[in-house]
Amino acid sequence: MTILIGIFEQGLIYAVMALGLYITYVILDLPDLTVDGSFPLGSAVCVALIIAGVNPVLSLIISFFAGVVAGIITGIIHVKLGIRDLISGIIVMTGLYTINLLIAGKSNVPIFEATTIFNNDLLKQLPESFKQYRVLLVLIPIVILCKIALNRYLHTKSGLLLRSVGDNQNLITTMAKDPGNMKILGLALANGLVALSGAILAQQQRFFEASQGTGTMVMGLASVIIGIRLFAKIKLMSFPMKVILGSIVYKAIVAAAIALGLSANSLKLITAILLLIILLISEHGKKEKVQQYD
Amino acid sequence: MKTTKKHEVRTTMENKLIVTMNRRVISLVLGILMLLSMLGLAACSNDAKSASSEEKTKNESPQDIEQQADPEKSVSENSNTNEDEIKDDTSSQADTSSDTSEIVEGNFKIGISQFAQHGSLDNCREGFLLGLAEQGFVEGENLTIDYQNAAAEMAVASQIAETFVGKDYDMIMAVATPAAMHAYNAAMDKNIPVIYSAVSDPVAAELAKPNGESVGNVTGTSDALPVEAQLKMIREIMPDAETIGILYTTSEANSEATVKIYEELAPKYDFKLVTSGIATSADIPLATDNILTKVDCLSNLTDNTVVESLPTILDKAFAANIPIFGSEVEQVGLGCLASEGVDYITLGKVTGYMAAQVLRGEKTANELNFETISESFLYINSATAEKLGVDIPQSMSDRALENFSEIGVLQ
Repeated sequence: MTILIGIFEQGLIYAVMALGLYITYVILDLPDLTVDGSFPLGSAVCVALIIAGVNPVLSLIISFFAGVVAGIITGIIHVKLGIRDLISGIIVMTGLYTINLLIAGKSNVPIFEATTIFNNDLLKQLPESFKQYRVLLVLIPIVILCKIALNRYLHTKSGLLLRSVGDNQNLITTMAKDPGNMKILGLALANGLVALSGAILAQQQRFFEASQGTGTMVMGLASVIIGIRLFAKIKLMSFPMKVILGSIVYKAIVAAAIALGLSANSLKLITAILLLIILLISEHGKKEKVQQYD
Repeated sequence: MKTTKKHEVRTTMENKLIVTMNRRVISLVLGILMLLSMLGLAACSNDAKSASSEEKTKNESPQDIEQQADPEKSVSENSNTNEDEIKDDTSSQADTSSDTSEIVEGNFKIGISQFAQHGSLDNCREGFLLGLAEQGFVEGENLTIDYQNAAAEMAVASQIAETFVGKDYDMIMAVATPAAMHAYNAAMDKNIPVIYSAVSDPVAAELAKPNGESVGNVTGTSDALPVEAQLKMIREIMPDAETIGILYTTSEANSEATVKIYEELAPKYDFKLVTSGIATSADIPLATDNILTKVDCLSNLTDNTVVESLPTILDKAFAANIPIFGSEVEQVGLGCLASEGVDYITLGKVTGYMAAQVLRGEKTANELNFETISESFLYINSATAEKLGVDIPQSMSDRALENFSEIGVLQ
């Protein structure tokens, strides 16, 4: 049971990050590597603020905007300076490593004793039997809020324009809008979500670690693909919801690999194989569907 | 009518989106996956060697100890690995074994979360098992070990810790700072004792109070380097040296803490310190070239990234005829001139003794202060000394715990 709770906790925290990746990879069709830097950026900002005594919820919001700034910088480098999308992401990601260290002060900053959204007087009043669900109790509303906000936004005029950037840029031009600006907006929003996810993680794991961004992009991308593929047939489900579920499935895969526990060092290979199997299974279902539309 | 049309447009658009993007992204993911599995396979073949040797030690060490402990009963029991049979064993054991280490009755489960694949961390884990065995907790007898390695990934370390907590183990043993922090965070609510090892600065990691007391149900051992002994040794071997260079990873808290100690103590031995921070192992060749032009010798920390790339650094240092001083025995075996370092097997053993106290219920982890090994051990590589034309004083060779006569020896 605790393992299951653990999977949901981790899955939901990283789901917020995966929602960000969904915007860049799926909607904008733009490979954004800023993520490996903006994820720990969110943690760094959040931990620094909490140590300074800022309200945990407020520090989440500020972390979100720190990510937004990072995304805007990537966007400006890409769109305005005309540097390729991959490279501009790499530039910002590399720079953020130092920025993160500067913000946090050192490479590993613990906040074990601090008040966080998961560790406060209000939650301490919960009855003992509910204590183990306290992280989920806080997380689920946050993730649902992110999901609804994103869903709503994607159905506004601006959101629809954003969705056509990756699909049909000419459409935006004919509507007298600049696709470049829409890209910057998308990157800002995406990295804001990624940083928010990093901030939530920092509060849950109670420390910031400079190297925690490594592999974030791969993890998020895997979650997005799993979600979209695995739940491709369920039409009623919105895409953000699929991404959230995908993130939980990804974490379940890692947990399964740990539980299989063949040899400690084969963990990654097992994770990779499980991932491949899941993708192949959903690929099978997908083929029929593609044929229908062709 | 209007809304349904809008809906239709949306769904077809979305479908189109998936179809076009999926091919690209899927191929990307597949590419990444293939890369991963290739890396995995490469690692596997590497691990196969270490794993087989590991298994050997795993299988042998308890047996050895058992035989030492009670030689009268042997063969029939060594073949047992099933838990069901163990129960019978322990009861029969209680009668027979009485001399040195009595096997404690019960079936204890410990999850070991190791942060990365690394020589000294492996030694730590082995030492831990040896220490436990000496205290009567023998793997395969009354002790079940679930060993997991996070391959240096934070998210995985956290999931490992949560899995252990979920399985309700009697204790979590964490090797290296990030693993310890994740384990403590996960185990806090269920109050499962966490015993850590190879955490350089437990106070900075908020696992201990500044006075050494534990902050919760967590304790362990620190592998803080004997920096003073190391500096003294360098001065003894190189009386004319002026500057010491240190390469370290800026994201490793252990290294940062140790660099600070070096900065404090270096002037005492008339050394100037040149440090070079790196972010990833890819930065090492350039950083090494740069730092070698500025220093008389290099001194290593227990920095994971730097130690992993030691062969590259040694190569360049030999070419520049500059000695490197290691921080542990493996590094000296690989070609570092000498080291005044922590013996990780001993460190692990001390950790094992602490764990045994907690498992027996004598003390809780909360009541035990973290321990540091004050003793340092000198290791010398005479082949390196010869290659670099450095004379090692006879008094030092005499007191060295081990003197390597070859370069590139892996323990």
